[in-house]
Amino acid sequence: MSTPLVWTWLLGGIAALDATPVAQTLLSQPLVTATLLGWVWGDLSMALEVGVVLQLLAASTLPVGARTPEDYAVGGVVGVGLALALASQQPFEQARDASALLGVLAGMVAATAATPVLKWQRRRNEGLARWTEAELREGRTAALGSAQVAAVLFAFGAGVAVTALATGAGLRFLHGPVSDGSIRLSRAWELAHPLWLGLGLAHLLHSFLQRRLTRAALFAASLILAWLVRLSQVL
Amino acid sequence: MAARTMLLQATWNYERQQGIGWAWALEPALRKLYPDPRLRAERLAEHTAYFNTQPTLASLALGAVAALEERRAAGEGPDAEAIARVKGVLGSSLAALGDRLFWFTLRPVAACLGVWLALEGRWQGALVMWLCYNLLHLGVRLTGVRWGYRAGPAVLSGPVRARFERLTRVLAVLGACLIGGILAWLVAPSGTWPSMTFEAALGAGLGIGLLGALRARPTPTEWALGLGAMCLLVAWFR
Repeated sequence: MSTPLVWTWLLGGIAALDATPVAQTLLSQPLVTATLLGWVWGDLSMALEVGVVLQLLAASTLPVGARTPEDYAVGGVVGVGLALALASQQPFEQARDASALLGVLAGMVAATAATPVLKWQRRRNEGLARWTEAELREGRTAALGSAQVAAVLFAFGAGVAVTALATGAGLRFLHGPVSDGSIRLSRAWELAHPLWLGLGLAHLLHSFLQRRLTRAALFAASLILAWLVRLSQVL
Repeated sequence: MAARTMLLQATWNYERQQGIGWAWALEPALRKLYPDPRLRAERLAEHTAYFNTQPTLASLALGAVAALEERRAAGEGPDAEAIARVKGVLGSSLAALGDRLFWFTLRPVAACLGVWLALEGRWQGALVMWLCYNLLHLGVRLTGVRWGYRAGPAVLSGPVRARFERLTRVLAVLGACLIGGILAWLVAPSGTWPSMTFEAALGAGLGIGLLGALRARPTPTEWALGLGAMCLLVAWFR
């Protein structure tokens, strides 16, 4: 078991805490965790490549109504961690692209699969809340603090467990495809990478524009202006 | 109390949502107001009831309710039912305002800034994203209790609400401009022309995303998984 892998699991726990139970400072967002993992694994460019895709998808995933959205805190750590772990085993260009593709896919699957765990945690918290109220009715005010500590430890443990399980399974089952089918996977990444970037940006654009013409005009103006600036740099 | 708002959602659950975290955050104020431990425990138990709002702006409601509890402890003010009503009204108004400002606008804007830098391979993207969000998020969270305490239940009076709404609109315009900038940068990355495949796939992703965003289902993740599977199939059988 490598040290970077252990750090990845711990970061999964920290991200799970920041996402809902503690502070919500965006430390759990895929771009932030990807940067940290890039330093831990010593491969920042790979971490950012995967992190950007997952970040765009995470930013366009909103908790609308009673729906529990995909858990990109854990999904981000799993996706980037797995991509880095797979790439570190075979540092060839095509194997790197293959690892990035499988990392993003694994991140999305982990984010989706972690939702039931999140729901289960929240149902366990219901029991904790009822116990706290009963204790308070008995005059024991310390129960409030104990309940908070218990819930935080529980969330951290669940985050570490899901991250460890997902990265472990990913390394076990995805190592073969990366080494045997890296050319095909690398071709798929060339196609999927811009598709995912476009998809994520479109969802964000839609939420900013809200069918207002002035905003759409400003978007178009900034697109043309930035393109001209870039063109002047190229020429 | 301001520091305790960080754990407002620690015990979030479907039954009472932020109820336990709310009571725990309010506990220092009640400890000061009710020296009798029995009475204090009773008041705390009342506050464990259902409560939910946007977590950043919850500190404003906490301050306002602390002010009400102070009046109640002095024997001049509202009863438990009135306080519960104020909590309910403030909770839903702050949620409506805060969800739009923090979740639907500031978080995506911060993400766009970070992504733009990260696309250039810069680690500073994450830092910029984190700072951009937390200057406002932590600022409001840490000063909100005092703000709410001074203003009382009228904390969301006209000018404050208007200011938050104006900020949301300005940030949404900034976000739209940032997306324009990112797209322009992607079309001509690193001073070299991108491949036709890249441009075509980016355009296709944008088109699919804009059409998909018109409906709540499939979610962006479901779309992305479907597109990923399609790319695998294309690469495998090409």
